[in-house]
Amino acid sequence: MINSPEIPLSFSASRRSLLRALGAGVTGLGLAACGKLADDGAQATGSTLKIGFVSPRTGPAASFGEPDGYVLSLARKAFAGGLTIGGTRYDLQIIDRDGQSNPQRGAQVANDLINSDGVDLMLATSTPETVNPVSDACEAAGVPCISTVVPWEAWYFGRGAKPEDKQAFKYTYHFCFGVEQFHQAYTHLWPQVPTNKKVGVMWPNDSDGNAIRAALGPLLAKDGYTIVDPGAYTDGTNDFSAQIAKFKAEGVEIFNTFPIPPDFATFWRQAAQQGFRPRIAQIAKTGLFPSQVEALGDIGAGLASAAYWTPTYPYTSALTKVSSKELADGYQNEAGKQWSQQLGPSLALFDVAAAALRAVANPKDRAAVAKAIGTLDVQTPVGRLRWGKGPNGNVVATPILGGQWVRTTGGKYPLDFVLCENSSDPNVPVAAQLKAYGA
Amino acid sequence: MNWINAVVQGLLLGGLYALFACGLSLLFGVMRIINLAHGDIAVLGAFLVWSITTRANVSPLLGLALALPVMLALGYALQYTVLARSLRGGTLTPLLVTFGLSIVIQNGLLQAYSPDVRSLGGSAGTLSTGSWHLTAQLSIPYLGVLTLATAVLMLGGLQLCLRHTGWGREMRATALDSDTAALVGVPASAVYARATAIAVGVATVAGTFLAVHSTFDPSSGPTQLIFAFEAVVIGGLGSLWGTLTGGIVLGVAQTIGATIDPQYSILAGHLDFLGILASPRGRSLITRSTT
Repeated sequence: MINSPEIPLSFSASRRSLLRALGAGVTGLGLAACGKLADDGAQATGSTLKIGFVSPRTGPAASFGEPDGYVLSLARKAFAGGLTIGGTRYDLQIIDRDGQSNPQRGAQVANDLINSDGVDLMLATSTPETVNPVSDACEAAGVPCISTVVPWEAWYFGRGAKPEDKQAFKYTYHFCFGVEQFHQAYTHLWPQVPTNKKVGVMWPNDSDGNAIRAALGPLLAKDGYTIVDPGAYTDGTNDFSAQIAKFKAEGVEIFNTFPIPPDFATFWRQAAQQGFRPRIAQIAKTGLFPSQVEALGDIGAGLASAAYWTPTYPYTSALTKVSSKELADGYQNEAGKQWSQQLGPSLALFDVAAAALRAVANPKDRAAVAKAIGTLDVQTPVGRLRWGKGPNGNVVATPILGGQWVRTTGGKYPLDFVLCENSSDPNVPVAAQLKAYGA
Repeated sequence: MNWINAVVQGLLLGGLYALFACGLSLLFGVMRIINLAHGDIAVLGAFLVWSITTRANVSPLLGLALALPVMLALGYALQYTVLARSLRGGTLTPLLVTFGLSIVIQNGLLQAYSPDVRSLGGSAGTLSTGSWHLTAQLSIPYLGVLTLATAVLMLGGLQLCLRHTGWGREMRATALDSDTAALVGVPASAVYARATAIAVGVATVAGTFLAVHSTFDPSSGPTQLIFAFEAVVIGGLGSLWGTLTGGIVLGVAQTIGATIDPQYSILAGHLDFLGILASPRGRSLITRSTT
């Protein structure tokens, strides 16, 4: 993400000084690598099972990785006594690495985990930039990999699978919501507020935006919604007056977007300045985490969003026996921060990991572990995950439920997310009805 | 009417770009350093203003006034501790050093402030969301006007100081030929330190306006750097009035591009920049800096 601009000025540095600078850089890298080897080499091998965990802890997607420290501590505690599989006791070691929100870095840490650490199972979470390269590295090296928090179409088709493939990958498996779940959530959420069914959309020109434009747009149109699409904009745009003018001219009453956080803040403030005020403002991608909505100030309350996990999910982690509520409370006490949706799927990864290792006679047999994941049935905080039920052999589609950010009264945190519909998972209780924005 | 609105919004956006570009332009003009950490310094300033604003519960503008002396001092220290040493290493070293500095600042901020996004828009109240509604299609936001006015005052003020004051003359002399300036008693390091302090201070102002305009997090710096850089090049390297014009040209190009099709918004700005580079003036820029 660091866009170091190409600088159209040549340097008068001599070739020697350039080489010297390069040499220093290479030596630095070499030293860093040595340090890392020494660090990892200290761990004893033998009947130790190693699980690699890759998530974005720094960089633009760092807010996804924020609760990972807490989830890792829960998982390490649960694995502290090791795992007994087929009468043999195995020690368990989790090696977590930062993908730095960057595909090259993601691939690099995955390859290091595979080749230097020799992990037996890989876990990866959050955004295609981090997860897809890790999954690709695992598929190539024949290491079983479980991943989440990438819309499954972006993970499956984004890595070269064809729509007719029943099971495109042998070693890599995934659980996450997809476009169909967004469609379900939106079509159950929006009728709760009377509107003219005109949907203004701001879908950016990136992998998420284009996937949504191609798949969600036609589905909504079929349900009688009129899509007003001014066109794909580039992430990092600082002015949205053209889009706002179009929405105002068309009389849009529902607004939907999949932006990065700064773009949404820019847009939403400008919308307030220019007098565009839809009855429903449905945001995705941004607005997953409380800080992103709090940062907007007064205009943040009342935004509609969707969640892949909340503390009200009535499920318990199979590995740690922690319920959703305990998970959220534990994190809030430990980290002193408000719960985040990431807690659920991150812990679910470890539930699946434990189940996968237990499902085979020899957990060191990578092909067997990979095969076993394809038939797993695991209880996790995000629900019961059952592979083999579709949409394809590698993927379990999990629910995403529509809700709204509302002001709390007298609580520790200014805003809370309440669920307003449960069409994809009726076991989760609905807390409130959607209110018009600003009502 | 949409076109008029697009031009007006572009003008106001140009103010933000000009503010971002100002420090970059100054450092390049005086010290011949391309400061790749400029965007991150702006974000660092925004974080400082955010800390003051939320702790003391004051308006962001007051927070900015309190943060500015700190950031000016920081700029001073930056020159003496980091940039002065790197300048002795030739032209490539400062570039690498500022690149490294950008990574250090980003990760330092991540450590200190967590990856949460923040904004000063909420505490700025109606400044961030209010506007004068002239017609149904044309609204002029308070924030945009304030940003543009600040940009004009800052860049104009700096330009006038460079032209008409004693320290401005010293700065111009050092920029032209630091060795000869030193011969007549103008120490380059002191002039450079002043320039860096001003650049860091202006970056803080830019960062604060960005924080009111949008949201920021520790990794927000680099995306703004590219626009600042384009504004500097479009306006002509080393000229502050030019930088103001460059920012406005870039802003208007983006909003007009977006009115044609939102896909063309950022692209229109980039094309503008490429057009300038390909023009005779662009060629002269490149040849001048290689000799």
